[in-house]
Amino acid sequence: MKSIKLTFTLVIGLLLTGITSLSYAQTSEYEIDGKTFGMPEAEVFTEDYDGPPVVGDHLSMLPNLEPLDYEGNKTHEVRIDIIAQEIEVADGVKYEAWTFGGTVPGPVLHVREGDRITFTMKNRSDEAVTITQPTKEGSPFMQQVAQNNYMKAQEATMPMPHSMDFHAGTVAKDDKWRTIAPGQSIKFDWVANYAGSYIYHCGTPSVLMHTAMGQHGVVVVSPKDGYDTGYEVDKEYVIVQSEYYLKKGPGDLYQYDYEGAQNRNPSHVVFNGHQTILHDQPLKANAGDRVRFHVSNNGPSGTSSFHVIGGIFDRVWLEGHPFNEMRGMQTVLLGASSSATIDMIVPEEGKYILIDHEFADAEKGATGTLKAGPREK
Amino acid sequence: MNILTNIAPVKITLTVLAAMMLCLTNMVGAQVLVPSGSFHSVMPEIKGEPVEVESFYLDSTAVTNQQYNEFLQDHENWKPENVPSIFAYKGYLKNWENTNADDIVNPNQPVTSVSWYAANAYCQSAGGRLPTLNEWEYSAQLMDFESTADAKEFANRLMSWYSTFDNENMGAVGSTGIENRYGIKDQFGLIMEWVEDFKPVVADDLSLDCGTVGRMQKLGNAYSYAASIRYITRMSFSPKSTNSTVGFRCAYNVETMEDKKSNL
Ligand SMILES: [Cu+2]
Repeated sequence: MKSIKLTFTLVIGLLLTGITSLSYAQTSEYEIDGKTFGMPEAEVFTEDYDGPPVVGDHLSMLPNLEPLDYEGNKTHEVRIDIIAQEIEVADGVKYEAWTFGGTVPGPVLHVREGDRITFTMKNRSDEAVTITQPTKEGSPFMQQVAQNNYMKAQEATMPMPHSMDFHAGTVAKDDKWRTIAPGQSIKFDWVANYAGSYIYHCGTPSVLMHTAMGQHGVVVVSPKDGYDTGYEVDKEYVIVQSEYYLKKGPGDLYQYDYEGAQNRNPSHVVFNGHQTILHDQPLKANAGDRVRFHVSNNGPSGTSSFHVIGGIFDRVWLEGHPFNEMRGMQTVLLGASSSATIDMIVPEEGKYILIDHEFADAEKGATGTLKAGPREK
Repeated sequence: MNILTNIAPVKITLTVLAAMMLCLTNMVGAQVLVPSGSFHSVMPEIKGEPVEVESFYLDSTAVTNQQYNEFLQDHENWKPENVPSIFAYKGYLKNWENTNADDIVNPNQPVTSVSWYAANAYCQSAGGRLPTLNEWEYSAQLMDFESTADAKEFANRLMSWYSTFDNENMGAVGSTGIENRYGIKDQFGLIMEWVEDFKPVVADDLSLDCGTVGRMQKLGNAYSYAASIRYITRMSFSPKSTNSTVGFRCAYNVETMEDKKSNL
């Protein structure tokens, strides 16, 4: 009798599993306007992988952008695992973040327009993963975090279902952006069809909670023929604005503030995930340099009126697309999940403040410093 | 004051009083009668109609490490080294150092990192079954509050709890101080729990996209928001999932319990 019952349970279980693994309509690959569509079906599986959570040659920690050291297009093998991590986001403010790769925002992926990305992600939210051990393996991101652990990241666990939504990808969300349970992995391909800076984030409901808890980052897709400027830039930085909704928990840690998130009342609005990081570690340039900022507002719910005190944006490409060029802008308005690529000539030696000119946000932390040395050329 | 202002009042019957007596006499592991009634689900397929739930018995506390270990002594095939991978992910009982009967660590904490299959097997051997999703949710909502403000405050705490479980310092069963009006303890504040139909058919229809939470906000309060997080999280599990925050308690049909009692 017992074995029959067990079998019945197994059958029910398999039925339950079946619901998540319905077959999706297969589309074969095709092109329109030189863009590639029709990716193979995503694969959900389990694996024993316990290596570095971020793997790939062109993944870096903010504000760095890995250079594209190859000609033409290539296929990137990229892994960004989901891990929980205790991080500090302002002086004395620590919480257990839900992250891509261990930091908030997650790693910056740099590819070229037309590149293909074979993406693998394991939901390791129920596994204690250390990201701060020096390692030669994995990615520049892993090395940069180990050298500069400004979030004081420590391992944590918080098993939750999660997913990945790359705004840089053009695919069916019910296939590629599927939610996976702790212990599961997903693998899928996408092609970077459009140049620009695109956010990525967890799309598992509550999306507000999952993104506010830290699951977002940026992919920079450089145009295949570059920006039509006739010059090279001297410095290139990635800046992500985002909000935290935190309140003090019963212990030392902060926790998600449901009411704050619902009412769009962030506790912190920050650049690169930390309230003071761009003052503690200012961006550097020299007078006369052309500096390129890839600025993304990852929200989840606020806007950013991005401005640099003492500068005027020489050229701005809205969303980072080379066709969307503007000149001479004082402020760029970025909605939630909107970006711009900005070139600025650094006027003279001194200090320039990057700021969300919505001052309520600035006073919650959305400021940073560009420190300019003397002119060298 | 009920947590849901629009819930139908539950009639106090003799069975209710009997259940209250029962929970006074038993602390850990008591099987408590939850009398029939109805509640409002956050599931979008239910259009304003309360969900009717028949009377059932439910463990007043979640199954503990000690209880689960006792089960393992009689059911060797559920020991971590014997469980086939079709029944559980690798993390099965990962926080246990061993499965010796004598030295079980944290005996009074709820067992976690058990798959849905394992939870089923345990409850079968205990003469019961996992509660259905509706039974579990119905019981969870049978909480009394002094005021709407208290209920709201509780729901906000619930949201914080769903963002950060302290699974390093998990308390013993019965330690949260949270219980429903019949003495079912810790449905919140300790662990999440398996239910029989954790992935209802509608789960696929909902497709777990970003609108899902909004569609679940029928009740328009923080409690229903927290409930939607719970439903969605549960729906995303695989029956093989072994999460360090997920355990279970068993339910029993009323007839089964009456048979048991008359045999005593
Ligand atoms: Cu998520």
